[in-house]
Amino acid sequence: MIEEIRQTCRTLLEAGTVNVVIAYGQSNPDGPVHPIFVTKPDDVEKIVWNKQCFANLTTYLTRKEVKSLGKAAILVKGCDARSLVVLVQESQVERSDVHVIGLACEGVGEPELAGKCRVCEVHMPVGVDVTIGSTEAAAPEGQNRYALVDEFMKKSPEERMAFWKQEFERCVRCYACRGVCPLCYCNQCIVDKNRPVVIDTSATLKGNFAWNITRAFHLAGRCVSCGECTRVCPAGIDLRMLNASLAQSAEKHFNYRAGMDPETPPVIGTYNAEDKENFIR
Amino acid sequence: MSETEKTAFEPKIVAYVCNWCTYLGADLAGTNRLEYPSNVRIVRLPCTGRIDFNLIIKAFEMGADMVVVSGCHPGDCHYTAGNYHARRRWTLFRDLLETMGIDLNRIHFAWISAAEGKKFAEFITEITDKARQLGPYQAYREICE
Amino acid sequence: MARIGVFICWCGENIARTVDVKRATEEVEQIPGVRFAIDYKYMCSDPGQTMVRDKIIAERLQGLVIASCSPHMHMKTFRAAAKAAGLNPYLVEMANIREHCSWVHQNREEATAKAVELIRLAVGKVIQDKPLDAIKVPLTKRALVIGAGVAGIQASLDIAEAGHEVVLVEREPSIGGKMAGLSETFPTLDCSQCILTPRMVETGQHPNIKLYTWSEIESVDGSVGNFTVTIRKKARYIDMSKCTGCGECWNKCPMSKTLNDFDYGLSKRKAIYLAFPQAVPARPVIDKNACTKLKTGKCGICAKVCAAGAINYEDQDEIVTEQVGAIVVATGYKLYSIGQEQDNEKYTGYGEYGYGKYPDVIDALQFERLSSASGPTGGEIRRPSDGAVPKSVVFIACVGSRDPAKGVSYCSKICCMYTAKHTMLYKHKVHEGTAHVFYMDIRAGGKNYDEFVRRAIEKDGAKYYRGRVSKITEENGKLIVRAADTLAGVPVTIEADMVVLASAMLPSTGATELAQKLKVGYDEYGFLSESHPKLRPVETNSAGVFICGACHGPKDIPEAVAQASAAAGKVQVMFARNELTRDPEIAKINEQNCAACYACVRTCPYNAIEKAEIRDRQGNLVKMTARVNPGLCMGCGTCVAVCPSKSADIDGFSESQIYEMIKNL
Repeated sequence: MIEEIRQTCRTLLEAGTVNVVIAYGQSNPDGPVHPIFVTKPDDVEKIVWNKQCFANLTTYLTRKEVKSLGKAAILVKGCDARSLVVLVQESQVERSDVHVIGLACEGVGEPELAGKCRVCEVHMPVGVDVTIGSTEAAAPEGQNRYALVDEFMKKSPEERMAFWKQEFERCVRCYACRGVCPLCYCNQCIVDKNRPVVIDTSATLKGNFAWNITRAFHLAGRCVSCGECTRVCPAGIDLRMLNASLAQSAEKHFNYRAGMDPETPPVIGTYNAEDKENFIR
Repeated sequence: MSETEKTAFEPKIVAYVCNWCTYLGADLAGTNRLEYPSNVRIVRLPCTGRIDFNLIIKAFEMGADMVVVSGCHPGDCHYTAGNYHARRRWTLFRDLLETMGIDLNRIHFAWISAAEGKKFAEFITEITDKARQLGPYQAYREICE
Repeated sequence: MARIGVFICWCGENIARTVDVKRATEEVEQIPGVRFAIDYKYMCSDPGQTMVRDKIIAERLQGLVIASCSPHMHMKTFRAAAKAAGLNPYLVEMANIREHCSWVHQNREEATAKAVELIRLAVGKVIQDKPLDAIKVPLTKRALVIGAGVAGIQASLDIAEAGHEVVLVEREPSIGGKMAGLSETFPTLDCSQCILTPRMVETGQHPNIKLYTWSEIESVDGSVGNFTVTIRKKARYIDMSKCTGCGECWNKCPMSKTLNDFDYGLSKRKAIYLAFPQAVPARPVIDKNACTKLKTGKCGICAKVCAAGAINYEDQDEIVTEQVGAIVVATGYKLYSIGQEQDNEKYTGYGEYGYGKYPDVIDALQFERLSSASGPTGGEIRRPSDGAVPKSVVFIACVGSRDPAKGVSYCSKICCMYTAKHTMLYKHKVHEGTAHVFYMDIRAGGKNYDEFVRRAIEKDGAKYYRGRVSKITEENGKLIVRAADTLAGVPVTIEADMVVLASAMLPSTGATELAQKLKVGYDEYGFLSESHPKLRPVETNSAGVFICGACHGPKDIPEAVAQASAAAGKVQVMFARNELTRDPEIAKINEQNCAACYACVRTCPYNAIEKAEIRDRQGNLVKMTARVNPGLCMGCGTCVAVCPSKSADIDGFSESQIYEMIKNL
């Protein structure tokens, strides 16, 4: 499969169809996989595809530095393709400006599959320009995609609060979660706004709560569960849980799942006069 | 609860209300001299659509024991749809807070029209009593220490 | 440090009775930023306002907090006072210590403490207030009127007479609307066409009125003062500049099988036709669905006989744009189509009345044509089936009205009157005939209205039965009308020769689609919503768009005309200025910061935010951004809440202002 990927990228670069390919690279075989930006046809040999290709490369599509390279091709897994849909919905990416190479994926992570891969429903990416590879892998039957949240919600509110206190106690406000998220593309994050200061910037529990609530809610109806925030968090905070909770909420109340269909209007910023409101007096 | 206990703790309540319905509903409660507890601090905003979740968090950070968000009934929004947009956000936001273990008894949403002075007074009375019973919102205060 | 002056009002005893104003004043003086606090018995009185003005100047104040009543009561007053003393009016905040404090709390201690707190919040806000200037919007003094029935005509003539240009758009081939087809009008029984046609001619000839008939509104862009309206001129197949209206074409046209809409299907017309004899413009139109030439390419007789060479089979729809500053909507009504397929599935129709099945069951507008001198029978009352003069006619009121189960829940308002009129018209023409009326209640409020109904009953002998008709069947050429007379408590069966249904008034077809283009609200039936039912009856929540006539709700001619003049008056008030000023408390976007996710564009209830480009001097695209159109923004602030980076903000209720308030909690 890797040869096919490299050949596809080489052809695109040689033909001048694209100026850059956003792909996975690995400096040494035991080292971590990282994104690479291939601009020369011969450099396609540096591209890798293996179980360590966690990163959601669509994050880089909105970066100024990458945009300045010209028209891009990008490797996406099924999960990453969903964030691309959101980026298109939110006018961050013009779909026709990107050549999307979908990779059939049976999951990343070794020896153990990443959590998100165990419940993956998009082994074959959709909405791409070309797909490389094939897989028979399918989502496990009758799975509950929010099992994690449901399990967590069995705890009492006090236990849940205690859990998050423990988690956010460790947050050092490095904003790696923000940096890696394909959907955190603001020019200036609200947390960096100082007139007025909406969110306390110091890494106190107070500031950490405000920040993490804000981060999660800004992804409401947008997060596609690529899981990158959780993977990169140096403090090991289970951020995915909050995202999943909101995804569950969006599906439950508004029958909406982010990144599934570019034609469905996003859940925030639209409404239905008949939306339920049993919590409002 | 005895009279002394009642006066022992007076909750701080912040009400974010829209300018056209609930604010006027509160005005009407005044015009009709409908008495209610004095704990509530009304913050006037143009529309419930303007009320952002960060305002709710900030109120707790500033020591609020309870937050009220209120505006025009569906279909009555002065700006036609601000309340519909707001309702969607609150629906999602409440679920997030629930996952975080934040006490949903501390946040109340209501549609109160300009004609519902009585509803305003009764609503504030009721939630103030509730806030007194719940006591100080210790959990969030600890977060903010 | 800010120089804020706090003025605490006693409101006589209204505030001072429960709030210890003196103590509050002392405590407020301690709030950082407060230059001084002062109390006074009546701050809104002349001496009170003078004090405010004097203090602004003497203390060089940078902001005011007036602690008194609701801002809905006196914000304007104190802003004006500030302005008079040279302070920007938007540097005034109010603390509502009356409605929200002294009037609702009895305990003096608590009320005083709360008053101080409310003032503290207001001081926080006022420190963050920014001077704002009323927004000036240029104004195109030209109006669009949509719909040329009696309301549209009235509004157009009023505006045109005031000296402003009017673009009048009508989707039918002629102006005149429903009124042009009516026989005589209540309560005076004057001939409808006699009063309307001179107005139609005046409209057609008025130098200030630009008429677009056989045209529809395609889209409306822009905002109050500056709308760009796109109009579709439907292909008429007639060169209007050449046609003289001589009539040769429609006289010679061999196709005569099409039902005539103007007679509501009671007669036939040609494929090329004049809408009705008094049509304005008096120019025909070719029905492309009926014309053999247009369908098969054969025929072409009309072109052969047209001496002016005005027939153009190649005609195409044409799109034109017009610039206007104000819009008047007068799209009128239609009748509930009884017993037929309904365009709203909620309505189930009245199959039991046999409309559409029995040719002699007709609706009220068809009866108007039957009794009109220019109608299909030349004004003789003859029933559609065999042309016989009906000796017994049953009129049924409230068909579809006041019937939430099968129709609409509202009263159509004019049916009681026109049914009384119909019985009179009938009796005046068929002296030996009997008019029976089934009604629910008689609603005849209006000048000389009840007298009119009494005349129908007492002088012209119409038989009124209070009760509903349950079923109509046909037996031996008679319509058997079964009903109950609820006052007598007996069942009634009448053998009628003809039945006339006073069916409910509905907004005309396409009214809601038009409302969406204009961003005007409408109710569950599709009637357009006024801005305020009492105080702003012809305004809408879409600035610069006014409504009149039956598009707003059922109404009769006098009301529609009065409303049309009111709408025209509002347009003239607007046009009396050279530019528009708007409240500056509206949204703005920090365009450098905006990530162009366009959540705000999606959210804005007024479509006031658009996608825009920022380009450098060389014209290169620097970035995309959302941009507020200040002419459209109404200041709800919904964009602020959905903006993740808070690049959207709103003056008057800005993030800084609100957070500063909360910080003072």
